[in-house]
Amino acid sequence: MAVNAPSRLAPTALAPTLSFGSGLLRGLALLATLICAAPALAVIGLALRPEANATTIGAALLRDGAIGTLALMLTGGGAAIAFGAVAAWLVSLCAFPGRGLFTWMLVLPMAAPSFVLAYAYSGMTWGGAAPVPVAGFWGAAFVYAIGLYPYVYLAARAAFMSQSACALEAARTLGAKAGDVFWRVGLPLARPGIAAGGALALMEIAADYGAAQHFGLTTLSTAIFRAWYAHASPHLALQISAALLIAALFFLTIERRARGRAAFAGGSTRWRSLPRYDLNPAARWAASLFCLALVALGALLPLGWLARLAVLHGNISDLARPFANSVLLAGAGALIALALASIVAAAARKGGALGQASLLAAGAGYAAPGAVIAMGALAVFGFAREAGFVGGLGAGLALTALLWTYAARFAAAGVQPIDAGLSRLSKGVDASARVLGASVWRRLLRIDLPIAAPSLVASALILFVEILKELPATLILRPFDFDTLAVQAYAYASDERLLEAAAPSLMIFVAGLAPILVLSSGIARARAGAR
Amino acid sequence: MQLRDVRNSWESQPLPYLLNRRGFALGGSAATLAACAPSERLYVNVYSARHYDADRTLYAAFEEATGVAVRVLPANAEQLLERLRAEGEATEADLVVAADAGNLWRMQDANLLAPVTSAALSAGVPQRLHDPAGHWWGFTKRARIIVYRKDAVAPDEIASMDNLTQPRFSGQVVARSSTNTYNLSLLASRIERLGADNAWDWAAGVRANFARDPQGSDTDQIKAVAAGLAQVAIANHYYVLRMARSDDNAERESAAKVGIVFPDQAGAGAHTNISGAGVAAHAKRPERALQLLEYLVSDDAQRLLAPLNDEFPIRPEIEAAPELAALGAFREEDVALDALGRRQGEAAAIYEEVGWR
Repeated sequence: MAVNAPSRLAPTALAPTLSFGSGLLRGLALLATLICAAPALAVIGLALRPEANATTIGAALLRDGAIGTLALMLTGGGAAIAFGAVAAWLVSLCAFPGRGLFTWMLVLPMAAPSFVLAYAYSGMTWGGAAPVPVAGFWGAAFVYAIGLYPYVYLAARAAFMSQSACALEAARTLGAKAGDVFWRVGLPLARPGIAAGGALALMEIAADYGAAQHFGLTTLSTAIFRAWYAHASPHLALQISAALLIAALFFLTIERRARGRAAFAGGSTRWRSLPRYDLNPAARWAASLFCLALVALGALLPLGWLARLAVLHGNISDLARPFANSVLLAGAGALIALALASIVAAAARKGGALGQASLLAAGAGYAAPGAVIAMGALAVFGFAREAGFVGGLGAGLALTALLWTYAARFAAAGVQPIDAGLSRLSKGVDASARVLGASVWRRLLRIDLPIAAPSLVASALILFVEILKELPATLILRPFDFDTLAVQAYAYASDERLLEAAAPSLMIFVAGLAPILVLSSGIARARAGAR
Repeated sequence: MQLRDVRNSWESQPLPYLLNRRGFALGGSAATLAACAPSERLYVNVYSARHYDADRTLYAAFEEATGVAVRVLPANAEQLLERLRAEGEATEADLVVAADAGNLWRMQDANLLAPVTSAALSAGVPQRLHDPAGHWWGFTKRARIIVYRKDAVAPDEIASMDNLTQPRFSGQVVARSSTNTYNLSLLASRIERLGADNAWDWAAGVRANFARDPQGSDTDQIKAVAAGLAQVAIANHYYVLRMARSDDNAERESAAKVGIVFPDQAGAGAHTNISGAGVAAHAKRPERALQLLEYLVSDDAQRLLAPLNDEFPIRPEIEAAPELAALGAFREEDVALDALGRRQGEAAAIYEEVGWR
């Protein structure tokens, strides 16, 4: 492997600093790949194991599930990508009433799990009728669109914020209107960011069980559970999971290749405030209305409804322990997943087979439903137990397995922000420090880490929120008497006590609120000279 | 015994030490929080697929009476089964609790439950409501019933589950997904009583009368009927009672618009199912698991549970909650509940074929 070959993607990035530890990095990358891939590999391995009672039901479930998932990706996922990209463009480069407020409020829906949105919208009544009629296929597409656009918004906003003012101003000087600049300059330049955020949103849709099940849809994810629960065939479930994993790997590879061929020159590196377009009055209000609709539908309306239910039932005070458990688990899980994501991002920047493999391993974890990755982790545990390496799933081992599953499942969500941060490291600064006699570690601590720190924080915050919302792996792998907010919300919701489920659902959102606001303000400050 | 237990409970909680050694500061504090289980007290471990607050009350009363603390791991039945399977002999679970005989049968079928019998269990649980070999024992009962909108349907129009297939209800029936175990058991018992062809025709007939594709929970079906989306729904009996006393005005209004019918009173009787429990095959504290199981079917526990959860006590002698008693006595379908498990695969295949997803 050509370890020192500069990456095609960013020829000026990082190579000098990290070359000191290329052996170390390679070892870590291998470890990270194994950690991320083990549950997915266990799933694929178990699926390939022959089993006597193979049925024809499997083929029908797989076909219908694939059609359902693709349809939801095209509608809900497509809308999420469009909403996220347009919203990011508006708040980054246009002036309109409420822009400052929307800049951070647009991230809010990220804290609400899809299943919570689905429950909230289905139960919502106003004067005996549903204010937003949400049901069936279009209901699910709606929930995905308004719940997942922040993934695209965050990535696209970071991309727009780091764009060269020169390219945009050159376009304006040449007489392009706001819309033209968006379509012909801004959008193409931000494409990698939008693609990365879009990929996260699409993988969320592929992995989502709660909302799709609630709306009675056949997707790959619900087909997995139908095989497992209704047909009592974990083996068939694993086979469908394996198909989902392989499809995800296929798409991830295509996406990497498509992105790898395009080169995006950074343009000027002298930062200036981005020029902001003055829209005409109608467009100004339309922009405000658009952002308001996203925030209201994605966060204010469903959470207001949950808050009303929670007040009606008044059980918020019982939630101190689950709240603490959730925050501690999400905190510990985010740190471990962050370490993995950093290694994967660094290895991917170096390129080579190992870098690609670690990216794919992380991506596979993210695209599979949490319960499937948890089943894979359980299987690995089962092997280890039969081989005599470990005993029962006591509290220690259960939490270890759970944190590992979180890391394997979510590392991919942390890679993108770190990758964006690493691209800011400049070879020139590093070379200067080297000429001045700074050691490898000194350069790492004084130059690289401070530059990459905001990205690491951003990544950790995203991971924290993801783990906070996670349900199935927590449900199956946690120790005795250890409930989290998501588990409590599930327990009540599965018992059809939505009133009681409202308070823990709301608390998931509250716990995720602070990190999301920090995250949002971090992006706003990421551009030197930003107001 | 006492000594062994103390050591066991310590061994199951090695986490603070383990994580501190590895230097995970945050993980360490999480573990301290996790290690809330008693290390001095006696305890019994329960894997439970029931999430009712009422069960916690029951466990607290058990601890009060016996000094044995109940540690619970609630999750859904299928996931608990996979965990038990992966844990094998090393499992920490002593008693396994699940709603629906079908789920209990699956655990038994995977050799994860031990057969146990005792005089108290045999006296406490009617024969039909436990596994003949004692792998699982019911401790509460629920009926699957028909809910109708009072201003659209007369109760005698839905005297039987068979009526839901009539043209009279074309486009007027709602039911939840057949992935749900309640619906699987409902069809499994029909297969057991009347054969697969009859069950196929019934499922296809109901499917043809659906007002919409199955979605949401039993409660959502009841709300759909109240809102005028359909006239009749299939649901478990306790959901309507619960909605009638909801803190939410809208739910109370919905409940007021609907009535319930125990179907097939002139025929085979209404489909009833249980919540039950069995001792884990590799329980480390089997005596205490049995002790808890016997407590669950005891008069004390049955009287405590009856008013809390709108379920029927497992024995007719125990008086049901007033709202339940007000519904009157009803005739139950006479099907041995282990058949619900045995027939579940067939039921799932039939639902798949007729397109009731």
